[in-house]
Amino acid sequence: MLAGKKFQVPLFSSSAKIKGWPYVIAWCHRISGLLLVAFVLFHIYAIQSLGFPDRYNADMKLYDFFILRILEWALSIPVIFHALNGGRLILYESFGVRDDRSMIEWLFGLAILYVAILGILMLMGTQSVSPFFFWLLVMAGGLSLASGALSKVWDRRHSLPWRLQRLTAAFLLVMLPAHMLFMHLNPSMAKDAEAVVVRLQSGFMKFVDLLLLLALVFHGGYGLVSIAKDYLSSRALTVGLAVLIALTMLVAAWAGIRITLTV
Amino acid sequence: MRSRYSITLRIKRYDPDRKRSWSQDYKLEAGRILRFTDLFRKINNELDPTLAWNSSCEHAQCGTCAVKVNGKPLLACELLVENAVAFFGTTLFRVEPITIAPVVRDLIVDLEKAYERIEKIKPYVIDPVENPHPGNAYQVSPRDLEHYVEATRCINCFCCATACISSHRGFMGPNAVLASVVRIMDPRESAKAERLDMLYSDQGIYRCHTSMACSFVCPKEIDVAHFIALAKAGRFGAKGRK
Repeated sequence: MLAGKKFQVPLFSSSAKIKGWPYVIAWCHRISGLLLVAFVLFHIYAIQSLGFPDRYNADMKLYDFFILRILEWALSIPVIFHALNGGRLILYESFGVRDDRSMIEWLFGLAILYVAILGILMLMGTQSVSPFFFWLLVMAGGLSLASGALSKVWDRRHSLPWRLQRLTAAFLLVMLPAHMLFMHLNPSMAKDAEAVVVRLQSGFMKFVDLLLLLALVFHGGYGLVSIAKDYLSSRALTVGLAVLIALTMLVAAWAGIRITLTV
Repeated sequence: MRSRYSITLRIKRYDPDRKRSWSQDYKLEAGRILRFTDLFRKINNELDPTLAWNSSCEHAQCGTCAVKVNGKPLLACELLVENAVAFFGTTLFRVEPITIAPVVRDLIVDLEKAYERIEKIKPYVIDPVENPHPGNAYQVSPRDLEHYVEATRCINCFCCATACISSHRGFMGPNAVLASVVRIMDPRESAKAERLDMLYSDQGIYRCHTSMACSFVCPKEIDVAHFIALAKAGRFGAKGRK
């Protein structure tokens, strides 16, 4: 449908012609999901140095390098794409929205807008946004979306992990892009160990970060197991890999919870 | 409009005796409205009698001639030369067997193996409800039929399953899900609980990632993804309810 002259993207268009744009987007969703799981694990590892402020500050200095700034900005592409496409899938599957062409156009339009805004914010520098105000609004948005999804997927015959995956998807659709935005609205509050520690003294901020962490770890873990099930035919191997993924995610969750509660 | 085309079919071949596969080019002069099954027959008659391929009705009703042409799963009996040239923008066509079951020889796959997953979901009315008009055929109301009549067009050609992003290891496949959904929506079926258990199993709808390739490639133009999404949206009543 979108493979017409109006919407030509090198590399992707030939695949879209064979199996359609939603198929190409499904692959992009899968690849961006894998990238994000890898980054979340790295991120949890990186914040472990919050207990040693000098080391944390030295690590954050690395992000002053131009290449790393560009990569930091580029990270917003898989973040917003995966988040918005997850929203599109929930709308299609659970809310019966069948105008997929429009949804794909909105997906790309909003994603480009977000990436551009983030880039502008990064160039502008700190905007001194109140963390409490920002996260209160964002949590309200995230929880509203999650409760909207809850009404459609919860009291049904679906397996519990599948329902939780949809629920976390709706929550993260707002929370994850907001996490990136916040960091660049208040760079000084994210890259200075003391400022991060002061922010995390607030019970509300601890609650926000823990909820974000748990949603991410579950959503990423479920996604990895789901991909493994698509490609492995041996049940023993699938179960083994699922256990390994669950353990990895549990360790990541424990490390994240520990640093959030103890700083 | 051209009346003849010089085309090349690059066919993936497989010899089960020597367990060897290779690609072989066949150069043909073909009329514009020849179908790909006609081309295969032309190869057998004029170039290579050993090329093995499958077909039965050659009217897009049986699905046995499904192959992949330049990566797209389709029915060879439906694809005209002029349409293929226009769609793919080339006169070189890579022809491969569909990937849903082991290859028997060249373009022929083990359809019995492929049908195993269809048989698993019992593609018939398991437990018919009592006919309110005994002695007459059960009458499905047009209003009920309207909801799922599109899905009854499925011929199990396995094009959807070949295109699906979920591969074929854990997933029963889009056409098997569709066959199950049709019987759930059929008012004559009373064994809905058994069907829902199959549908909401780990080999069922949880392996579908809504890549919608099934709908895109379906030769019968069935919106397969729509019917699978109905199951995800819980449109078929509570589990265990008849």
